[in-house]
Amino acid sequence: MKMEFGEFLAAPECMVAIVTYPDIFQTDAGLRHGKFSKEYQELSAVIVLDSGDMAKIEVKDGDLVEVLGEEAAIVVRTKESEKEHPGIGYMPEGAWTYILGASPASAKVSRSQQEIPAIEDVYRR
Amino acid sequence: MMVCTGCALLCDDIEVGENDCRHACRIGDAHITSTTQIEAMVDQSPVDMDAAIKSAAEILVSAEKPVFVGFGNSVTEAQATGIELAEKVGAEIKTFHTSIFDDILDGRVKTCTLPEVRDYADVIVFLGCDPMNTHPRLLSRYAYYPRGEKRQHGWEEDRTAITIDLRFSHTASICKEAYTIDPNRQIEFMDALMDALSNKVPKTTYDKKRILKLAGTLKKSEFGVIFAGTSAPPRDATVRLMDRLNESSDFRLLSLAPGYNLRSIAEQLRQLHNRPGDDSDGSSDGSGTNLHEADCILCLGFDLMNSLPAHGINGKMIVIDPNETLTSRYADVVIPCAAGGIDCAGSAVRMDGEPVELPLIRESERLSDGAILKRLLEVVL
Repeated sequence: MKMEFGEFLAAPECMVAIVTYPDIFQTDAGLRHGKFSKEYQELSAVIVLDSGDMAKIEVKDGDLVEVLGEEAAIVVRTKESEKEHPGIGYMPEGAWTYILGASPASAKVSRSQQEIPAIEDVYRR
Repeated sequence: MMVCTGCALLCDDIEVGENDCRHACRIGDAHITSTTQIEAMVDQSPVDMDAAIKSAAEILVSAEKPVFVGFGNSVTEAQATGIELAEKVGAEIKTFHTSIFDDILDGRVKTCTLPEVRDYADVIVFLGCDPMNTHPRLLSRYAYYPRGEKRQHGWEEDRTAITIDLRFSHTASICKEAYTIDPNRQIEFMDALMDALSNKVPKTTYDKKRILKLAGTLKKSEFGVIFAGTSAPPRDATVRLMDRLNESSDFRLLSLAPGYNLRSIAEQLRQLHNRPGDDSDGSSDGSGTNLHEADCILCLGFDLMNSLPAHGINGKMIVIDPNETLTSRYADVVIPCAAGGIDCAGSAVRMDGEPVELPLIRESERLSDGAILKRLLEVVL
């Protein structure tokens, strides 16, 4: 099996305070398609990061990151913020966020190769 | 005209046709037309309603530390039956985000009605809330855009809307002023604002000039309103701010909480027991039983697992809900019910305390949550 040099290095990480927010499109998807739907997951398993923080951990808009809180870790998709807010990651209300603990939870964010877990698996991992 | 139970505004101008739902917002339309219903289940296997209710009753009777959570998405009559059942089985009721209602109900802070906001409010502060995402028609019906009796020029000239929040929200983007607070320095911001309201230069790392400007705007208000949401600074800080504001101007507080009928359960618990529902987040224990210690949790119209940090909750779980939820996937017993204001008529209390009758939008064969709770009450006697 061929291994890349980068696999021996830890992914760069940065600390953020996680703040939750309501999202009407996520609420709509949950009601219209159900909370187990792809539409709901796509709008829920998200972290909005400051562009500077994204550069620090070498991720682009849409990349997957692991968010490691005191209580648990979760994989979600990044979204680049239009505003500057270094050190703060905004996540929509829902299981993917609350697994990390009560807002504002403190968490480490780093690039991830893993998949976003389905909502029913969030608390089983 | 129908009433929408998508949020606590309880909009009463909804027209529901065969294939459309007029005047409702995105949440209301999705709520009224939602089809994500559940089946009765015990141990995640489908059963009939009688078996599900019997199983739920057995769990309730054998529980030593039962806790009931939710209640904000049930009609007032169902809430009353739920309180009766809780008393019968010795369960504690935990509501969430109701603490500010308690301050309003006991007269600790001044409040007003939504039509009064529309008619008189000149300064509107959205404190830790984003109504465009939670109560979408608040701004167009009451808080910002409409002309009111004393506000004939509407938002362009007569109203100043301000957000103070942990995030630059969609609501912030349409307000004249937006203050984004660091989540770890909320109290510092509130203290700085209090200093500025007392004509002192605040000692803070926030922009002092902007805070002084904010204080000036608030003090000049003739009829100010604060809408406090779930990200508002701690309750005590909000109440202190209200007290200080009312030394120099006239401010009212309204709570923007999730659930269409949360104010009603806050009122009922206050009237019946003279005590509030516990408002902890489930992870800490302000008073009463911690959710982690509960050996039975009955979720009434509340998706616990998707609404709170739910680690280490090991009690038996009973879910009574119109829709499939994450919690229903984990529950020992799932009992589907009709949705208040859709296939279950009843009454509710709007966020400003106005009683509202909820007519039926459509018939269904589903039992109401109130009827299910009554049957449980009969069985556990």
